[in-house]
Amino acid sequence: MAVISLLVLVVGPVYTPLSSSSPPMTRKDLLDIESLSREEIELLLDQAGPFKDLFTRSVKKVPALKGKSVLTLFYEPSTRTLSSFEVAAKRLSADVTNFDVPHSSVVKGETIKDTIDTLQSMRTDYIIVRNKMPGLPQMIARETKACVINAGDGAHAHPTQALLDGFTLREVFPELMGKKILIVGDILHSRVARSTSTLMRKLGVEVAWLGPGSLVPKHGPKDIKRFTNYDEALRWAPDCVYLLRVQMERQAVQYFPSLREYTKLYGVTDERFKQLEAQGTYIMHPGPVNRGVELCDAVMEYNRCLINQQVENGIATRMAALYWLKPNQQK
Amino acid sequence: MLLLIQNARIASEDNDDLTPADVLVENGTITQIGQGVEAPAGAKVIDALGKILMPAMFDTHIHMREPGQEAKETIKSGTEAAINGGVTGVVLMPNTAPAIDSAAMVRMIYDIAERDARIPVYTSGCITKGREGKELAGIDGMLNLGVKMLTDDGDAVPDLLLLKHAMEYASEFDCFFASHCEVLELSGPRALNEGEVSHRLGIPGTPACSEEICMDRDIRLAHATGARLHIQHVSSKIGMETIRWWKQMGAKVTAEVSPHHLLFRDEDIGDYNTHYKMNPPLRTAEDNKALLEGLKEGVFDIIATDHAPHRAFEKSQDFVTAPNGITGLETALVSLYHYFVKKGEFGWGLVVNRYSAQPRRMMGLDAVPISEGGKADFLLFDPEGETTFNKDFMQSKSQNTPFLDKTLDGSIDLVVLGDEVLLER
Repeated sequence: MAVISLLVLVVGPVYTPLSSSSPPMTRKDLLDIESLSREEIELLLDQAGPFKDLFTRSVKKVPALKGKSVLTLFYEPSTRTLSSFEVAAKRLSADVTNFDVPHSSVVKGETIKDTIDTLQSMRTDYIIVRNKMPGLPQMIARETKACVINAGDGAHAHPTQALLDGFTLREVFPELMGKKILIVGDILHSRVARSTSTLMRKLGVEVAWLGPGSLVPKHGPKDIKRFTNYDEALRWAPDCVYLLRVQMERQAVQYFPSLREYTKLYGVTDERFKQLEAQGTYIMHPGPVNRGVELCDAVMEYNRCLINQQVENGIATRMAALYWLKPNQQK
Repeated sequence: MLLLIQNARIASEDNDDLTPADVLVENGTITQIGQGVEAPAGAKVIDALGKILMPAMFDTHIHMREPGQEAKETIKSGTEAAINGGVTGVVLMPNTAPAIDSAAMVRMIYDIAERDARIPVYTSGCITKGREGKELAGIDGMLNLGVKMLTDDGDAVPDLLLLKHAMEYASEFDCFFASHCEVLELSGPRALNEGEVSHRLGIPGTPACSEEICMDRDIRLAHATGARLHIQHVSSKIGMETIRWWKQMGAKVTAEVSPHHLLFRDEDIGDYNTHYKMNPPLRTAEDNKALLEGLKEGVFDIIATDHAPHRAFEKSQDFVTAPNGITGLETALVSLYHYFVKKGEFGWGLVVNRYSAQPRRMMGLDAVPISEGGKADFLLFDPEGETTFNKDFMQSKSQNTPFLDKTLDGSIDLVVLGDEVLLER
């Protein structure tokens, strides 16, 4: 009985936007943020709320996707995102299979088309894919009937990260219009920076970038502000500072002299933290964090540090995304 | 064979005028041009009313993939594609597998062409063995077999001292160098132009300066050593300006532009469409404009397609993994008409000069104007016709072109070479 009443509670508000008079906003795939309208983004964020409410209940599961199969196809090692999707799918009662990709052999692009045929034969309902090749989820989406969610394709897009970031920021600022977010770090290689910047701008948030000149693209959208130093960036008074993980492995080709120099110029040092705290600035980070590099220890204890909320919200928004997508019947 | 083409309008490289005339061909030679030419007994008569008779095209930048990658193209299928596009002579690039870097390889190409091709096939030869940039190839042996162009096309020669020595050595012979310009360290995965599109698609781009630096470097070296140098497939505004400047300086440099660099830009890639992936990559609208300006002005001596066939499955991989290159032989002339001649951007005189006469001269051959006593080497173009580039139409083994299944204005209705009608539609 508890489960049924819970279902009403959850499914009720979830269905409301869809049954309104406007045309049903549904899609087969979630591949990037760019192709989503503001209305679609808001719908997804609205739908994530009731899912998050579930998490505080003793039974965290709803039968929304009972009998549906979800396949995760991760060509890049990932624990956090993979687990988050897995938990999300299981809380919707879907059956989850992890397609174990041997990282060495299948990564070669030549076999992708054959892999897609294999997946098609499995008649799975949802495919969640992460791959270092930009545009690969698009390819899979075109070729299969299943709903495809891009869980990160190279430096291109990571739409569910952007959605969870939007959801998290909206929890502290119910009205996002006119808010300011400063994204700091390696923008160039970051799919998170691309997708989150796009989503924030679609929701009316002002976006600015700060990072080493060699890691901030010269050709990004014109309406994104660029700062070349922290002091100037903080004078802009951002409501939130979004830190990106410094990719140690990228240093095979050198983009900046040393981590020490990076931290000095672009890290949230103790000194900068005091300033952020005084300004009441929220801090976000897609994880995992490098303590002592992009942020100091004190940040992790800060009451306006939203990093743990981001993780929790990741599950709720991924549930909303899975629930929202509808397979293509025609194909 | 006797062939009379009546009511044609004749194009030449000298100007954009079209001269109405009948043209009589006897045993492969043009014997009479004039009004009201009588058809001799037994002559094949073609009424060319409204159509344009022009010298056949000649393409100096062709990949026919044989030997080594015959699934993509062969000399047989590639030369048939050339004929289909009104091209009666081609220069092959040496990046086959193995590479064309010795007299033996050149001879092999000639043997295959002798057996399989209905048009003359010329080949370039490598500057370095296996195009590896390490040791000089057997230059003398290749030149003795008629090779004129030395290039490691597909890559630049990264070792400047080696390139300098090659230029000093070979500039004393009857040959010239051709440069694919690229500084590899700057090129990234060689997938697309560095700019807004590469940012949006999340792929590291190849900046135009990668090409421009190498171009300037190679021209400087050629200028210093006295070698003749040809710059291949220029894609950027500053690249065009670089050549313009060096020509003003008196450097012995020529340059080519491809139809795709004139027509398309990186935005056309859209959602990872690999039919717009080639190297050098498509750049911006501003570059298109500058390249067109350079073509009209004569900064670009020739048009060449960089015909680069690839199998459909190769092109249907993800954007970074998919190989660079598109086919061009069958679409070049019709697309030049559709997008430029028809719109008045330039006339037939320029087309004949840049895509027929000049390329032949660069290779040490004579141009093939429609003139009495000249060899029949021409095509008949119908500006009122249209061409749909579908799989049935195309003779190439590969259809990796942005024009696939598109219809453009203009059609090539007849191609004649010597005593043979190569194509009649």
